[in-house]
Amino acid sequence: MAHAENRLEELRELVADVLEIEPEELTDTGDFMADYEADSLRAIEILARIDKRYKVEIPQEELPGLTNLKAVHDALARHSGGRG
Amino acid sequence: MTGLGPVSSIGTGAAAFAAALRAGASGASPITGFDATGFPYRNAGEVRDFDPRAHLRRLDPARWGRSGQFAASAARLAVADGGLDPDRIDPARAHAVIGTTSGESAVAEALTEQVVGGGFPAQDPELVARLPAHRLANAVSEELGLRGESLTVATACAAGNYAIGYAYDLLVSGEADVVLAGGADSVCRWAHAGFYRLGALTESRCSPFDRDRSGILTGEGGAVLLLETFEHAEARGARIHAELLGYGMNCDARHAVAPDGASVAECMRLAHRNSGVRPEDVDYVCAHGTGTPTNDLVEGRAILEVFGTEPPPVSSIKSMIGHTMGAAGGFGAIACVLAIAEGFLPPTINWANQDPDLVGIDVVPNQARRARVRVAQNDAFAFGGNNAIVMLGAVA
Amino acid sequence: MVITGWSAVTAAGIGAEALARRVADPASAGRGVVVDGLSDVPLPAPTGHALPGFDVRAELGRKGTSWYDRTTALAVVCCRDALRSAGAPAGGDDTARIGVALGTTLGSHKSVSDYTRETLVQERPYWVNPALFPTTVMNCAAGQVAIRLGLRGVNATLAGGPLAFLNALRYADTVIGRGYADVMLTGAAEEYAPHRAWAAHHTGTTANVPLGEAAAVFVLAAAGEGVTGPRVLAVATGYAPGGGAAAGQALGGCVARVLRRADVDPAGVSAVFTGEADSRDTREFDAVTRVLGRAPERVLAKPMFGECDAASGAVALAVALSRADTGQVLLTAVGADGAVGAALVEVGA
Repeated sequence: MAHAENRLEELRELVADVLEIEPEELTDTGDFMADYEADSLRAIEILARIDKRYKVEIPQEELPGLTNLKAVHDALARHSGGRG
Repeated sequence: MTGLGPVSSIGTGAAAFAAALRAGASGASPITGFDATGFPYRNAGEVRDFDPRAHLRRLDPARWGRSGQFAASAARLAVADGGLDPDRIDPARAHAVIGTTSGESAVAEALTEQVVGGGFPAQDPELVARLPAHRLANAVSEELGLRGESLTVATACAAGNYAIGYAYDLLVSGEADVVLAGGADSVCRWAHAGFYRLGALTESRCSPFDRDRSGILTGEGGAVLLLETFEHAEARGARIHAELLGYGMNCDARHAVAPDGASVAECMRLAHRNSGVRPEDVDYVCAHGTGTPTNDLVEGRAILEVFGTEPPPVSSIKSMIGHTMGAAGGFGAIACVLAIAEGFLPPTINWANQDPDLVGIDVVPNQARRARVRVAQNDAFAFGGNNAIVMLGAVA
Repeated sequence: MVITGWSAVTAAGIGAEALARRVADPASAGRGVVVDGLSDVPLPAPTGHALPGFDVRAELGRKGTSWYDRTTALAVVCCRDALRSAGAPAGGDDTARIGVALGTTLGSHKSVSDYTRETLVQERPYWVNPALFPTTVMNCAAGQVAIRLGLRGVNATLAGGPLAFLNALRYADTVIGRGYADVMLTGAAEEYAPHRAWAAHHTGTTANVPLGEAAAVFVLAAAGEGVTGPRVLAVATGYAPGGGAAAGQALGGCVARVLRRADVDPAGVSAVFTGEADSRDTREFDAVTRVLGRAPERVLAKPMFGECDAASGAVALAVALSRADTGQVLLTAVGADGAVGAALVEVGA
């Protein structure tokens, strides 16, 4: 559990950096586009950073569903397989 | 428009290029311009076996980068096609305008390899001197001995059309007798990586406007047209392929990479208005048609908005040559001139399934078609929201 | 065309006043400031005419700027200030008639090279940052200016190296003259980065003057009733195949052309602002004196602001506008191959 929380906090920092906000401003369910003025390029950047950092490729087809931190966290867990 | 100079993955020279367009040829091949090891997708529209020495008479290829060689070779081909001896014109009234996205990208990458290997001091000064983007137009001026303006327009993937548009202005404002205009770019690692990372790259087949299109194929080449005032062309008894009617430019001012439909539609209207053309006059649209889901949807919808439910045929030659970046507008313009002069519509190859969101758009699927083309529209849109559309017509 | 406003970001600071202070006291430039903070690798020279404290976040905020390269940041800040100084609206109905023409050498050399580097050194060649991809394209700065300031008119980026600003000026002249836009933000930007510093070192352009960075932008509008300010009377560019002595001849041709076009008496030209790096280099000045038949005052911007490549001409015009001169002045530039250009500007009217 502690591991999962660490992962969530790591992701919060990563995503906040992409969204050009402070990690404290990013809630688990805040909508990237509606609440943080993100666009499609930011969302692609999040996937690219995850690929590089965790060596996990989340397919771009899943982008439409990745609208908040929790969804990104879940997708990362889903695609990590045994490595998460 | 009196001369055509294409240096492309499907053919070099007007005749070879026209034959390839008619045949629906594909220029896609495994990348050799850089080491594509490690890239999931390893195909591009490269100009294989490009030999600048076969074309250039004055320019020493050893002193110029690949994109400059493309530009100068294409310009040399264009004057040859137009039967123009550049030594017999007023050189001060002859200009070179070349568009590009990445300039001398191959040079930049070779230098970066040197930096990665041995740090900045290890760079070859000779190579550094070949780097500046303005050398693309300078290469044309140098090769043909032109003393007029030598301008490289760096408006990314719309740059070829910007260049042709500026050439039009030089001609109609009395500054020029002759302008060599078009674009040039080279396949490079960084663009391949960037487009892949954006999810905008296709594996091997570029299929614009298809329901299942998956992205662009990076391409390269040089595409230059010889443009003259009517008086100049007539005085020397030149064969006139087509007439440049005008153009329109605007800027989305919204997003660095995503196109804006309303702005694209407005650019089409601007181009029509500036050219004295009504939508119903247009017989063919040579689309920007990159093959990405977004571009083709936005462009297709803009066409439906501007032309109504029965627009003229729309095809994308990028299905054949890939996205040649700054040269794309030049290749599109050459395709339009050929469509007008030879009476055919270049096809959109690799097309299989109707996109339900683009019903009504006839993409000239897979087979070239005989057609009488009096007015053609050549689209080009770019990163940064730079849009430019050129209108071409049959000689009145 | 009338210059209805302008601004500059130079080694002297942000804004026209900072530039004017240095123009009034050229010795204050010295050999520049210590620049090692702008690079994580050794630089060919310890000092340069840079603005190390320039912080785009402080100017524009964090939102939308974290991925900017320095060229884009300099250009956007400078265009914002230029538009403000002109008093033109940064929004509203007529933004489709306000355009941008920026000169460049190759965009941000650093952005292009760093992106390529990532494809070479990362475990996988495609592990690049997609958000930085737009910075590898030369029109990034002009595109961001349009987005940031909401300018939907003609948006152009003109490559030219030393000629870039005159190319942009010439392009803007055509765009306004042909009626494609009413107002053009016209200028150039060039960043201080190890890539440029080393490139300049290898090609010798900084042999006699330190490298500089700058953006300078002028708000141009068609001359007309109620439009006041200094005027760009004429711009001409050309090319001399082979370069060398032929370039001097060709530059003389451009000077003669702008004088003829503007119908100006050569005797009225009070000063010439050349792209020469120091007083020993007289290649441009000689061409001008041949045409004018006399030697006007020569002003060199580079000893004050460094070798700013594409932005050099723009900085020179800014210097011209900061001085108390009246009458007509010439701007000249010569490229490394055979490109040449000249502009005639009426200042202090």
